Order: sequence, then C-alpha cells, then structure tokens
Amino acid sequence: MTASPFERLQERLAEVDDLAKAATLLLWDQRVMMPPAGALARAEALATVSRLAQDRFTDDEVGRLLEELRGLEESSDEDSFEASVIRVTRRQYEKATRVPSELVGETRRAAALGLSAWNQAKEQSDFSQLRPHLEELLELRRRYVECFAPPDQTYHLLLDDYEPHMKTAEVRQIFAELKHELVPLIAEIREAGDVDDSFLHGAFDPAVQRALALEILTAFGYSAEEWRLDETPHPFMTSPGTGDIRLTTNFRAHDITSLFATMHEFGHGVYEWGVDRSFARTPLASGVSLGLHESQSRTWENLVGRSRPFWRWFYPRVQKAFAAQLGDVGEEAFYRAVNRVHPSLIRIDADEVTYNLHIILRFELEQGLIEGRLAVADLPDAWNARMNEYFGLDVPDDARGVLQDMHWAGGSLGYFPTYALGNVMSVQIWRRALEDLGDLDERFERGEFADLREWLRSHLYVLGAKLTPQETVERVTGSRIDAKPYVGYLREKLAPQVA
Amino acid sequence: MTFATAAPPLERLKAILAELADLQHAESIADWDSRVSMPPEGAAARADVVATLTRVMHERFVSDEVGELLGALEGLDDPTDAALVRLTRREWERARRVPGELAAEMSHSAGIAVAAWDKAKAASDFASFVPHLERQLELKQRYIACFPETETPYDVLLDEYEEGMTTAEVQKVFTRLKEELVPLIERRQPAPELTGPFPVEAQQRANRLVLEAFGYDPAAWRIDETPHPFASKPGFADIRLTTHTDARDLTSLFSTMHEFGHGVYEFDIDPSLARSPLAQGTSSALHESQSRMWENLVGRSRGFWRWFYPKLQPLFPDALGTVDEESFLQAVSAIRPGFIRGDADEATYGLHIILRFELEQELLAGTVEIRDLPEIWNSRMNDYLGVDVPDDAHGVLQDMHWSIGLLGYFPTYQLGNVISVQLWERARADLGDLEEQFARGEFGQLREWLRDHVYRHGSIYPPRELLQRITGSQLDPEPYLEYLRTKFA
Repeated sequence: MTASPFERLQERLAEVDDLAKAATLLLWDQRVMMPPAGALARAEALATVSRLAQDRFTDDEVGRLLEELRGLEESSDEDSFEASVIRVTRRQYEKATRVPSELVGETRRAAALGLSAWNQAKEQSDFSQLRPHLEELLELRRRYVECFAPPDQTYHLLLDDYEPHMKTAEVRQIFAELKHELVPLIAEIREAGDVDDSFLHGAFDPAVQRALALEILTAFGYSAEEWRLDETPHPFMTSPGTGDIRLTTNFRAHDITSLFATMHEFGHGVYEWGVDRSFARTPLASGVSLGLHESQSRTWENLVGRSRPFWRWFYPRVQKAFAAQLGDVGEEAFYRAVNRVHPSLIRIDADEVTYNLHIILRFELEQGLIEGRLAVADLPDAWNARMNEYFGLDVPDDARGVLQDMHWAGGSLGYFPTYALGNVMSVQIWRRALEDLGDLDERFERGEFADLREWLRSHLYVLGAKLTPQETVERVTGSRIDAKPYVGYLREKLAPQVA
Repeated sequence: MTFATAAPPLERLKAILAELADLQHAESIADWDSRVSMPPEGAAARADVVATLTRVMHERFVSDEVGELLGALEGLDDPTDAALVRLTRREWERARRVPGELAAEMSHSAGIAVAAWDKAKAASDFASFVPHLERQLELKQRYIACFPETETPYDVLLDEYEEGMTTAEVQKVFTRLKEELVPLIERRQPAPELTGPFPVEAQQRANRLVLEAFGYDPAAWRIDETPHPFASKPGFADIRLTTHTDARDLTSLFSTMHEFGHGVYEFDIDPSLARSPLAQGTSSALHESQSRMWENLVGRSRGFWRWFYPKLQPLFPDALGTVDEESFLQAVSAIRPGFIRGDADEATYGLHIILRFELEQELLAGTVEIRDLPEIWNSRMNDYLGVDVPDDAHGVLQDMHWSIGLLGYFPTYQLGNVISVQLWERARADLGDLEEQFARGEFGQLREWLRDHVYRHGSIYPPRELLQRITGSQLDPEPYLEYLRTKFA
C-alpha cells in the first residue's frame, strides 16, 4: 500500500514540525531551566536540530510533492484542509528554499550565543559585551536578505517573516498616522495633570503575586493540565506541542506589573491553544503572524486587563492580598493608576499610549541598522538621543536603554513593528466581538471571560495560519487593517475629560 | 566510495557523530522535560517529537555512509580515535539490525506507556497498565528477533547496557549473592527507627549542603523534584539531578547522593570527548557503581556522618533533637526488608534486583503471563524478603523501567553495587583512610581519584577493560560480600 502524495507531504511536514518543536523546547529550556554553563552545548544542539528541520523542509522531495499536488489544490475548496496545507506549505517552501541551511543553522547558533551574552550585558549594563554578537547577527541577517532578489527592499524582507505580506510602506503609513494622533494626545494628557500611582510602588510579595496571577489565568481559561507558568527576566510564551502552552512572567518585588505581563502572555498562549487541533503537525498549526498574535496578547492585557469591569471583579482580591499597600486605595484610583499615561524608559512597562512610540523608535533604528545607515557601535547614542526627542527622557544606562529588549540579541529584526500593529488590530477585532456578544462589562465584573474567549477561539484562533494575516483580519472583522478604531479607543478611554 | 564531501573520513565521521549527539541532546531534553516540567496534556505531542528524533537519529546513524567511513578507519593509531571507531562500530552494527520503524515505534510507545504507568501507579491500578506492558514486551521480542544468532534472548538486552555481559555470568554472581544475602538478612539486628516528619524544605537544604560539599556547582547543575529520581546530561556542562522529597522520611538525601554519583561521572568526562559517543559513562553498571559509591560507600559511612550529622540534626529539631549520631547512623544503615527497591538498604537491595531479573527472563520466555505479574511479584516478595505487598503501587508498579522498555536493565544496578566495592577498595589502597577526610567534609581527593581513574575516560574503555585496568581483576562479588559482612557483623 503506497501513501498518496498528500499523505506523504503530511508525513514530511509532521516530521519537520516535530523537529521544530524540539527546537522550541530547547529554547524554552535554555531560558527557563538550563544551568548557564550549558549554553555552548545548547547552541550546537539548537543549530543542528533547526538545520535538520530546514533541510527536511527544503528537500527537493517537498518541491516534487507540491508540484504533484497542484491538481488537488486547484480542485479543492480554498478553505479545505488539503488546499490550505498545500497553499501555506508552498508559500513557505518558496521562501525557505532560497536560504541555505548552513545560514539558518549559523543564525540560530549566533542567536543562542547572542541571547546568553545579552543576559550578562544587561545585568552589567555593558553594551560592549553584546556589540560583537549584534554585529554578527546583523551580518547574518544581511546575508539572509541577499538570498532574495531583488535586494532593494531589505527591511521589508525581514518584516515579511513575522508579518507575511505586510509592506514596510504600509507600516510606515500606519505608524505615521499613530504618531500624528498620539503625540498631541500625550500632550493633552500631560497638560491635564498627572495621575497618582505612587501606591503601585512598594513591597509586593512575589509569592502572592504568583497566586493572584494564577487566579486571573484560571478565570481566563488556564489549567495545569495544559499550561504552565514560570519566571524569566523577559516574559514570553511558547508552545512545544499541542496541549502544552508555556507562559513566563517576571514577578518583581516592588510592583505588580507581572499581572499585566501574565495576562499579555496568556493572550499569546490562548491563541495557540485555540488553533484547530486537526491542524497539528502542519504549518497551519500556529497563530498566523506576530501582529495578530500581539493583537491577542494586547486584548487580554489591555482591553480586558486594564478595563474597569475587570478591576471591579479583581481589585477587591488584589486589595485584600496587599492590604498594607492598597488598603486605603479605592477602585477608581487604582483603575486610573494602572492606566496612567506617562513617558517612561522601559517598553514593557509603558502605558497603552506611549507604548507605540517605543515601537516607532525601534522601527526607525532597526531600519537604519539593516540598511547600513547606523553602525552597531553608535546604537546606544542613537537610542538615547531619540528617547530624549520622543519622550523628553534621559536614559541613565544601557540596561534601561538599548539593552532592555532581547529581540535584537536573538536576531529578531523587523519584529518590533508587529507589536504596534497588534495594538491596532486588537481593537478592530474587539469591536467586532462586542457587536456579536453585546456588552461584556457585566460578565467581566463577575469574573466571567469564557464568552469572549470562545468568540475569539471560534472566529480567530481556530483559523490558525490557514489564511494570510490580512485575509484573517478581513475574515474576522470585515475590513482591512485600519488604525482608526484603535486611535478612537485610546481617545475615548484616556483623553482628559473636557469639563 | 560515495562520500558527499571531500572531508577526510575521520573528520566526516566525527561531524556525523556530533550531529547525532546534538539530536540526542534534544531527545534528552524532551525526556527530562516530560518528567519535570511538561503539562500532562502535552504527552501525545511529545511522543511524536521523540519518535521523530529517534527515527532521524536512527536513519542517519545506520546509513551506508557511516559503514563506509568505519571501513576506511580500521586500525587507527590514536587510542582515542580507535576507541571512537570501535564503539561506533559496535553501535552501528547493533542499530543496522533494527528497522527504523521499530526503533521509532519503541520510543513512541514508551512515551505513551510511561504516562500510563504514572497514572496506573498513582491509582495502584495494574489492569490499566497491562496493555502498555504487553506492547512493550511485544516490541522487545521483535527487537530481540533482530539478533537471531544470540542464543539466549536475554543476552541481547543485557549486552546493550553492559557490553559483553551474559545472562550466565549474571546468574553466577547473583547465585553467589543470594547464598550470602539471605542468611545475612535473617541475622539482622534490631535498629532504631527515625520518626518524622522531616519538613521538605529542610530536607532540600540538607541536600544542597551535601551536594555542594561533593562539588555541585549551580552554574552547571540543577536539581528538581520528580516522583522517580534520575540524573541526566543533555549536553556538556549541563547536569540535571532529580530527587523525591517526602516529609515522612529522609530517603531524599540518599537518593540525591545517588544521583550525584551519576551526575559527577558524566560531568567529569574529558571535555575533549564532547559531542561524541565517548562522552558518556561506559556502561550502566559502571554508572551505577558510582551512584552507589556516593550514596552508600560515602553517604552511609561513619566518617560522612561525623561531618554531616551535626549539620543535619539542627535542621530537624523535632525529629532528631534527641537522636545521637550513633543511633542515627544505625537507623539509616539498618537492614529492613521493605517493598520498595528505591528505598531498600544495602543488603536487601540485591534481592529486589534478583526478583526482577528472574521475572524479566520469565516474561520473555512466556512462562509468566503479564496479567499474573502482581500475584507472582507479591508471593516472591514474601519468599525473599518476608514482606506482604499491600498494593501494586508498592509492588509491581513501583518502577518505571518496564514502561519505557527497559528490560535487562535491572541487573546492572546490582552489578554496580558489586563493582562499586571493587573500585572502592582500590581507591582506599591508593588514598589511605578516606573516613578521616569525610569527617572533615572533604570529598575532593576521592572525587579526584575517581575522575582520574574512571570518569574522565568516558567510554574509551569497555566496562570489562576499565575494571581490569583499575582493579586488576574481573567482576568479582567477594569484595562486596566482605564489605557487607563487615558492615553488618
């Protein structure tokens, strides 16, 4: 009995996916579990496993099968499993076959070493330790871009890895609109006077924070059967297999930002969790793009987790858990404090409005880096100058400046814009959900989030990577990516009330 | 010749083996994670990942290319390279016999069976485990059938973990042990009992104190909690121990020292062997000789407790406040027949192994049916140790080994005990009285000696040869028996 071409393709894709999952696990382990001295061997292992995954995917056999399957693809409904697997595989295959597997392995290896160096560089606020790694990674990214002709749209090609079919020009336009709207909004807010959030700084026992974080997660839909929550300096989510969703957060003893980071990572996790399980071990089995992924992390962090009804439900618990800090603080004051708009140094601590400017800054700098207009050595100065220009802030040291994010150290250039795009899409999707579900406030006030989760699962998550990001947004919301609903949301929620 | 590249054969072989070591690294993490950190629902996907890794490794390893390279590399002068070729050939010839599908199936079903074992053990429900055990046995039979020239099926399994070991030789050693152990156990003296509780956190502190004195370094090691303790080395300079800490007793401390012994063997292998098949302990029994050495010969010695008891006692003021060092030492060294192999004392341990060794052979021969296992298990536990097994969780379900297809493995534990004393006697002959050093909390000289004589060589020498080189003799149960007779006189 011989397998059909489609079955053979599936078998190959499953094998590739298994190897990719092994690499995912190696990375998770490196960040959560591995003793530091293991970094060298881990870099080798990661390089080999990802190279093998790449080799098996870019093998001529896959190309032959895709050719053989043209007929099946054309005769099947576009939305069918078969047509979708073939279509998405073809797209990825065409991109991947341009890149030699040595380069992929080398990049993974350099990224693993870069991440280790970043950890220490950040700890010691010493950019020079990271610099050679960044230079190497930048060179590797350039070689990557050179695999594609024509090489004129350098940045676009990197962005395309994270946000397929998104054009740099399109991003520039959306960001210009954001900048245009947000800069005056920030000024209005500043003129209206600052909000007191001093009570959010103090002693907050990490063990209590963990218990609270798990309480929120459980209400959102987390269960120990399928999820776990660990601590890392930089929170992240990863899924090394179906039914295996891993979040990390950072419990800091002096504030409760971990609660928001946890909700953020939950949004990433629940997207992966909700993908149609029949897609497992195919390229369809993940969120479709980083932008859409981020739309979900921001939905759960901000649209849910910084909403009034959410805190009507949860504030009494937080207040009780931290009575010494919050005993005298009313719900409204707390709500306003966690929504305080205030320029700050650290992206992940930024409020909903200024966050976007952090992204725009990075978007501009990484275009400069990749296009050769900005040398790695000059990066800290360029960073600090722009922080001053956009936020009026002086960066005291690189740990709180250019070293704060791990992305570049891990070779992720072109990644940052997806964060702001996620913000934009989150509100488009949210509006659509509210049209179907009606007002969710009362449900949130009772700690009920299942209706929202189920709507998002059945409309968005379940699609996995079947459609392109743009198609996905259109399928879910009925319109293309559009900054207006997002800007409208920010104004409505955060603009000072005119008396 | 069909070399894809112009690299000299030795370099090419090393590159292939390094790649395989990397895949093994991934597999090792997949396994460690599934036992330490994986959410339970991840098991099915994990089984797929492990099966794929196994298949990919198998395919790459059994390739004709590796065979041709081995053929081109006969008679190398450099002893390390020659050892690499020798070991690779041995493994290649074994692996060639086993179809890739069978290898993948074995690892895939092991992933599922170990999860089933976990549940079955928790519920003490042998019936739910039966189909998984049947599957493991069937796969083992198919595996054995790949080696038709080996007359004794059990030899096929044994040789995998202990190169050159035969069922007959094990039988001979075990017969001799049984002769001595049974009367030794019968003559046991009553010993004081420790009564807990021993708070888990204090135990974990004690474990860390001991590990650090032995040479544990958090930059390269970690220790976690799992139901079944184990040690693993995913890659160079990454050593992971687990233990199981239960407030009712102090066994966690001994299991921690045990796993340290496995860990330190791997940790101290010469770094130049990294990413090659030589970068691992040379056999299961040699490995076990090291875990038993640190657990028993060090960790149950008078010198060790002279140093450590004054540190341990204040951690457990309620349980140990009125227990003096001598009573404590007697309590943790006493012969106490029990149900659980992992908790067994030095004398009864061997009988736990002999029981498993016999049952495994009978299962393979078909003279014992899987469904009858609990009953036979329980009746033999009664015969050998005079204990009544209360339920299967404390009986036939206590060990995970069979669930992951480890048959023929148990004997190496007891061989490890035997070898540990052979090596110990040699170390003492070189180093003089170690107990004095232990009493000062100094373990560096012993570790150094072991590193130099055993650990650093990795798998350069086959187990028999290593033992011969160090001790000047072959596997010999007499030093071990003498040690037990002296200790329990």
